[in-house]
Amino acid sequence: MSNIQQLERRLERERQARKAAEAIAEEKTRAIYEANVSLQQLNNRLEELVEQRTAELAAARDEAVRASKAKSDFLASMSHELRTPLNAIIGYSEILLDESEDQVQPQVRPDLEKIRGAGRHLLGLINDILDLSKIEAGKMDLFLETFDVAALLDDVQATVRPLMAENGNTFALHRETQLGMLRSDQTKVRQILLNLVSNAAKFTKDGQITLAARRTRLGAGYGVEFEVSDRGIGMTPEQLSRLFQPFSQADASTTRKYGGTGLGLAITRHFCRILGGDVTVASEFGEGSTFNVIVPDNDSNAAIAAPQPVWEQRVVGTVLVVEDGREGAKSLAEPLTQEGYRVIAAAAGADGLRLAREQKPDAIILDVVNPEFDGWTILRLLKTDAELCDIPVILVTVLGDRDMGFALGAAEHLTKPINPKELLRLLARVQRPEITPDVLIVDDDQSTRGMLRRMLVKEGWRVREAANGAEGLEQLARAVPAVMLLDLIMPEVDGFEVLRAVRQTAAWRDIPVVIVTSKDLSRDELEWLRGHAMDVFQKGAYSRAELIAAVRAMVDAARLASSRTVPTDRGEGKDVA
Amino acid sequence: MKGIVFTEFLEMVEREFSPEIADRLLVGTELASCGIYTSVGTYDHAEMIVLVSRLSRETGIDSHDLMMAFGEYLFRRFKILYPKYFERMNSSFAFLTRIEDYIHVEVHKLYPEAELPTFTYDVPQPGRLVLTYQSTRPFASLAEGLIRGCLAHFGEDADIQVEDLSDGAGTAARFVITQRDTLRE
Repeated sequence: MSNIQQLERRLERERQARKAAEAIAEEKTRAIYEANVSLQQLNNRLEELVEQRTAELAAARDEAVRASKAKSDFLASMSHELRTPLNAIIGYSEILLDESEDQVQPQVRPDLEKIRGAGRHLLGLINDILDLSKIEAGKMDLFLETFDVAALLDDVQATVRPLMAENGNTFALHRETQLGMLRSDQTKVRQILLNLVSNAAKFTKDGQITLAARRTRLGAGYGVEFEVSDRGIGMTPEQLSRLFQPFSQADASTTRKYGGTGLGLAITRHFCRILGGDVTVASEFGEGSTFNVIVPDNDSNAAIAAPQPVWEQRVVGTVLVVEDGREGAKSLAEPLTQEGYRVIAAAAGADGLRLAREQKPDAIILDVVNPEFDGWTILRLLKTDAELCDIPVILVTVLGDRDMGFALGAAEHLTKPINPKELLRLLARVQRPEITPDVLIVDDDQSTRGMLRRMLVKEGWRVREAANGAEGLEQLARAVPAVMLLDLIMPEVDGFEVLRAVRQTAAWRDIPVVIVTSKDLSRDELEWLRGHAMDVFQKGAYSRAELIAAVRAMVDAARLASSRTVPTDRGEGKDVA
Repeated sequence: MKGIVFTEFLEMVEREFSPEIADRLLVGTELASCGIYTSVGTYDHAEMIVLVSRLSRETGIDSHDLMMAFGEYLFRRFKILYPKYFERMNSSFAFLTRIEDYIHVEVHKLYPEAELPTFTYDVPQPGRLVLTYQSTRPFASLAEGLIRGCLAHFGEDADIQVEDLSDGAGTAARFVITQRDTLRE
């Protein structure tokens, strides 16, 4: 009995224990569930937090991008705002300098030169600072193109020549005959060379600055090595070590004595490196300095290749060349036939007159250099013959004969040796002398318009003006100009829109457009403009002469194009070349 | 005190003595739990002291000896119930020196409210371990039994010197464990 009671007690205890265990299990389960819930909430909260932080970070990034864009926009608009009035200052001072030659005010010349010099210096400074800020922001775009190195060197030589006179220096250009083509950023290579040469000129007095260029192997490819050397003041090793740092010249006294910002060499080195090359310097104090620049050729297939001129064979007009010797006739005829002219040659005055009557050429080129050959008589006869007197005659003269030639009725003159480009330009000009070229200036800045007008009118061109893009389009609709000078940043209809409209309208499509802008152009913009305009001039970054030359070339090209529509079925002649 | 100590104790009494004795321990005692224990529950440690002293009266065996015997029994049970804690333990010293930083840490994860004793140790020389027990409860004898159970589990022969650090209260003691091999040297 007690055994059963004991078992019953034990069973009861086990039952109670089981219930207690179940209650604990239930409690634990609930606790686990609640823990899970709070974990879940924590997790959700974490996700929320992460989302919130992500949003904050995105906002911060957007803000940084906006700030960076605002800075870029500020720089771009600042460059535009600063360059526009500077352009007017430099341009007007050039005009005044030009006019002071003719007028009796020689005392103002030095002042005008100071204004122009200061304007150019300030412009250089602005451009340097913009370049440097672009480099530092990693926004310096590369514009790769394939260009003729020899032509670039000629261009550099022409630009630096006036600088040489200032310190009584001379300039020598040494180049290999086979420099060939280079694929790189032409504008930057040009700026590198101009920086180094103008630097050398600044620190050298009564010495020689040498620019040498040679094609060189670079690893598996090729490149061009440029060397700019001078016998100027030179540098100490300590000065050399600071040389390429921005805002640092050899020392502070250098800045006082020689001027400059100390940005040129820093930019030069950045440019060299952006192009994949580098610049190095060797210098001895008091002895002079030599800068060596390597620019790799980005055309991997480029071996040493000469430029291949390409021209189409078409007849655009007939030219009679009256020349004493066959060699001379050939040198005149070659560029003409390449350009599509039919060339007939006469070796004697009588032949010349006969052929002129028979062939009725569009122009006659007459050599009066050789005194044995009586060119003057032929000119007189041509101009007194009612049938022939309208045919324009271009004289090949020595300088002193120029006035006599014009007095006898020659249209233009050339001196030997003949520059083929000049020959073609004159030929185009004389063929349509009755048309006064008409240039349309579209620019919202009045002083810029006024300045351009004065430059162009001086050249004998007619000028129309439009103060914005919309007016520009109206002017185009009224009459098609020979050339249009177009600003880019203008209210309402900007230059890009005008250019787009011009290229999309059949009647306007062939108008040569020259962009004259103070806008800091991006690579994409520059690329687009190069595809749609004939030339791009950054305001202030060119000389008056360069702009005039470009406009003249386009006016002449337009003449040439219209002359090509003239029928050329004028019978047989004696072809040379 | 965790319920498992009580359930294991009663099973030991049933097995080593008799179910009748186990029943008498529970019936004749005024226990807050009414003698109903589940291994997952928690109970007043004073009930264990009451149970041990009643067993001592029932059997005529000294409470200290009973408690120590229970410790040895409990260690064997731990090996069966919690084999996880024995993984990679290849000696008694390895096991005893990990009580504080491993076993008690794991126990706390499952029973955050558990009040555990502390075991600090020192190895004054190779083959000797000085383990100091410190608790709010008087279970130094149980600790000694567990140590002996541990040595037995690893098949080791060692001498244990016990020094009471609590004036006979049994809440603190120092165990100097010296392996026999070391003694002979």
